[in-house]
Amino acid sequence: MTRLTPTAEMTLGPFFPREFAQGANELFSGKDSIQITGRVTELDGKPLDNVVIEIWQADAQGRYDNPQFFGWGRAATDANGVYTFRTLKPGSVEGRSPHINFLVLYSGLMRQLQTTMFFERVADPVLDLVKNRERLVAKREGTVYRFDLRLRGDGETPFFDD
Amino acid sequence: MSWIVEPRDPRTQSEGVVAGYAHTARRWPSQPLVARPHGAGELSGPAQLERRLPPSPADLAGRGANRALGQLIHLRARVVDEDGAPVPGALVEIWHCNSAGRYLHPNDSSDSPPDPNFRGNARLVAGDSGLVELRTIKPAAYAVPDTDGWWRPPHIHFSVWGRVWLSRLVTQMFFPGDPLNESDAILNAVRDPEARARCIARFVPTVPGPENALVYEYQLVVRGRKAAPRMP
Repeated sequence: MTRLTPTAEMTLGPFFPREFAQGANELFSGKDSIQITGRVTELDGKPLDNVVIEIWQADAQGRYDNPQFFGWGRAATDANGVYTFRTLKPGSVEGRSPHINFLVLYSGLMRQLQTTMFFERVADPVLDLVKNRERLVAKREGTVYRFDLRLRGDGETPFFDD
Repeated sequence: MSWIVEPRDPRTQSEGVVAGYAHTARRWPSQPLVARPHGAGELSGPAQLERRLPPSPADLAGRGANRALGQLIHLRARVVDEDGAPVPGALVEIWHCNSAGRYLHPNDSSDSPPDPNFRGNARLVAGDSGLVELRTIKPAAYAVPDTDGWWRPPHIHFSVWGRVWLSRLVTQMFFPGDPLNESDAILNAVRDPEARARCIARFVPTVPGPENALVYEYQLVVRGRKAAPRMP
């Protein structure tokens, strides 16, 4: 039986086209929309420009295959290291607490980094596996959820091995 | 259809921190990555992603008076999963530098000249056999700024989506026979020589190729395979 080895991942490099990164960070704009924003930093806290962040989430009822809501988006950080999404708060799925999967691609990252943003610090079978789990919980200010990503160093974001 | 994504042999994948590539030691996490079970979010993915990311023409080289400088090439890249099954409808993003080693990007501070006729990037949707085809020019090698003589060999960047969220693949394709392949910090971050060799395109000696372009073939294997049917 055929079993192929997945192609090796390699870094996105510093020149990911700007036009690829733009125009895909609004998943939902109606009433009840929320904003998710944060700063991406490297060792020593320096903010990173043109980091590509992709997200995948369920709809408000916890469905990933709702034809009326497309739960995928992409944003790139600006020169201050800041990214922004506009979307809706997902429902819970299969006993998981509401969450959004994040994927980080960048120059100097030889493989994609996978993490997950939670809305509250509650029991969750995946969040419970993580040390420093408060770093995966967004800080809420009204309808804005702040989720910073520290790739390495003090306050490093926990990432998953898939 | 349900899919599974199993662990990879780390030797077939790039290391996180790479000697000779200083940024990796500032950006790759210092803490071990956390293993987790895969659920609905990891094993589903966006269908018809072109609804959010519109495709573009499959030609970066242009024609006639608007033709980009450089050697015309015709690239045939096929997206397959770990079963070897083609992934029809896979979205594929491709970008590379021009024939002087300059990217169409504001952050490229190289003194190599831009080429106004070179389009720089394309976003394509794979056909039924998982194939995308691109007419372009061969990218040049270029020196990496602020390093001790590191030259990138000619390469083409790929960003690909597969069956599910965890199938996402971002990689680079190299050209056969280039002497810089032997010393490139990025290509050689893959320890297994066979896995590394699979990152190099195959030159197809056709006579003549489409519009006298040199033809290169490449296979992109995205993670994931069909889950075995459940026992009743």
